[in-house]
Amino acid sequence: MSADIVMPRLSDSMEEGTILTWIKSVGDDVAVGEELVEIETDKANMVYESDAAGTLIEIVAGEGETLPIGEVIARVGEASETSAGNGAGEAGAGTPAPKAQSSVAAAPAPPTPATPPPAEAEGPAAPSGAEAEGSAAPPGPGGGNSRVKASPLARRIAAERGLDLAALEGSGPGGRIIKADVERAKAGGAAGAPAAVPESPETAKGQTTYEELSKLQSTVARRMAESKATAPHFYLDAEIDMSRCVSGRAEIKASASEGDVIPSFNDMIVKAAALALREFPRANGAYRDGRFELYSRINVGVAVAGQDALVVPTIFDADTKGLRQIATDTRALAQRVRDGQITPPELSGGTFTVSNLGMFGIQSFSAVINTPQAGILAVGAISERPVVRDGEITTAHLMSVTLACDHRILYGADGAMFLARIRALLEEPVSLAL
Amino acid sequence: MSQIRMREALRDAMAEEMRRDEAVFVMGEDVGVFQGAFKVTEGLLDEFGERRVRDTPISENTMVGLGVGAAMAGLRPIVELMTVNFALLAFDMIINHAASIPYMFNGQVRVPMVIRMPGGGGHQLGPTHSHSFEAMFLQIPGLLVACPSTPADGKALLKAAIRDDNPVVFIEHETLYGARGEVPDEGEHLLRFGEAAVRREGSDVTVVGILKMALVAERAAKQLSNEHGVEAEVIDPRTLRPLDLDTILASVRKTNRAVIVEEGWPHGGVGANLAALITEQAFDHLDAPVQRITGADVPMPYSRRLEQAAIPHEEHVVSAALAALEGSR
Repeated sequence: MSADIVMPRLSDSMEEGTILTWIKSVGDDVAVGEELVEIETDKANMVYESDAAGTLIEIVAGEGETLPIGEVIARVGEASETSAGNGAGEAGAGTPAPKAQSSVAAAPAPPTPATPPPAEAEGPAAPSGAEAEGSAAPPGPGGGNSRVKASPLARRIAAERGLDLAALEGSGPGGRIIKADVERAKAGGAAGAPAAVPESPETAKGQTTYEELSKLQSTVARRMAESKATAPHFYLDAEIDMSRCVSGRAEIKASASEGDVIPSFNDMIVKAAALALREFPRANGAYRDGRFELYSRINVGVAVAGQDALVVPTIFDADTKGLRQIATDTRALAQRVRDGQITPPELSGGTFTVSNLGMFGIQSFSAVINTPQAGILAVGAISERPVVRDGEITTAHLMSVTLACDHRILYGADGAMFLARIRALLEEPVSLAL
Repeated sequence: MSQIRMREALRDAMAEEMRRDEAVFVMGEDVGVFQGAFKVTEGLLDEFGERRVRDTPISENTMVGLGVGAAMAGLRPIVELMTVNFALLAFDMIINHAASIPYMFNGQVRVPMVIRMPGGGGHQLGPTHSHSFEAMFLQIPGLLVACPSTPADGKALLKAAIRDDNPVVFIEHETLYGARGEVPDEGEHLLRFGEAAVRREGSDVTVVGILKMALVAERAAKQLSNEHGVEAEVIDPRTLRPLDLDTILASVRKTNRAVIVEEGWPHGGVGANLAALITEQAFDHLDAPVQRITGADVPMPYSRRLEQAAIPHEEHVVSAALAALEGSR
């Protein structure tokens, strides 16, 4: 009995994964919990541990291949099972194991002069992988794509509709393109990925180079477009006097001993947002499937540039953590992002996001909501500017923030009160230390 | 309509034809006094007498040879071989004489005879008494081959076989003799050779079953529908030569998938032949390789469990149909 190893779901939002490296090779013994393969998910690169014990008898998905979750990537079983009449054994091509080994029936193994050994003859035999393979790919009429595995029917339909089989992905046994795949391609217009990037001609823009997106970059592209398309954004701007935070931070710095972590202004903003979220449950929720989801934990995501994309590690329970703890956690997470070691659990579970571009001197900006969250706080730079206080012109450390709200759950007045609460907390920062 | 057993339906067919035509007679081992090893000739000796219901020695080649000669001379013999297993002793007469003579003499002589023989496994009779030789007879040009699965078809096909001017190998299944079914009481009901029955309509997969396996296919189709939401179209060819390929191809063009079930061996089997025909003639309509369910590629085991494991059952048809549909649902 062999067990299928399938593409695992390694993060909440993962829909497909790419095989980076097979740590084990065909023929290796594998124990439960032993590292088997490294997989690139939409969020991070993960080492996946085997959940079956035995011998790795077949690698179905080769390195670099991208498969949806649940697809078979390898088979683990007893060493003797490698056979299936297909001695060549190297995977990739995907020799389908007989669907039901117990099945009586079916076709004989390819005729051999030798009498079949009694063991093999035991039950009426299921078709061998080799045989299924052989019949699968008759040379196409066009001749050019004879190596594409497609059913005769799929070939005919593709020819009639002028579809390129090479551009389609097969969902039949062993990746065979079947009727359903061709019909899907027809329905979806252009099917699958273009076969090859064409040589780019010189245009008014000069030479064009094409870069394939990393998993992470395609996730960012998908999620951001999804957010703008589905979440009705509106924006609230506020100016916050950070003078007390500035002086408070100077005091902390002065009294700190060697090696102490000094909380940044952003850590204070995270803490202020977390405390305010406690008072505004809808801001700490999501509009999903026609309902409000309200969460008991307050987990603030902090947008970090890294891995040539955007990632948002999560400060869990930010409302109950002290400033120093938030500071420590944030630095550790940011380092892991830069090192490419961040794991999906550290990137999920966020209930609100803070995005800060102040360090680049940005005055203010509007951020795209990290759906399904209800809002995102975009933070600009702190700058000392003239202000009028009690009829006198004086200076203050001002900071512009913009709260983007999903109007399906966080309405104008609620959003305004939520933002006002954040401002109050930052302007009287004593409460942040409590 | 009345509910009768397969053995009664076959007996009625012979009796009716013997009443209709003086030239029709029955011979074989124990067909007279003992009324048949499987009691298919029950009552025939009483009604038609020793001249037309003849017991023979245990000598298959001779019996069939006698039949060939009688047919050439103008009679219409029905030769009962106790089982298909013993037909092996008469292969020279069946192939070199019955099937070939009309060709060798340019049609100047005909051999209008029926060779009846029951076969199949399931009774723990071991390797020599459990054969399914449909494929062997199917291969021989000059022979017609019938393999009915219901009493009504059995009666209508046997009457047609007796009236046909070609030699007919009429294969019955030992485990179906007691099976009951509706058979018309009134009037003449003859079934043309080469007319398949669609036992059940469906759009997802075509299942062709012969002889007893036609019934297995029908039960599997119910299971596919109930448990998997798959609607199988079940076809019983009823005669293998001539074969109603048109009905099968029309179905495959509709469902794009075929499963063939037979009790015989896999190599060069009925399914192997039909799979080749389907591939040749409906290649562009196939969305999956034709699946074959056959008996195991072994001499039939004696042990009950092993014997059952060597014979196809519903579950095998179900998994083959699902395999043909893999990726499509």
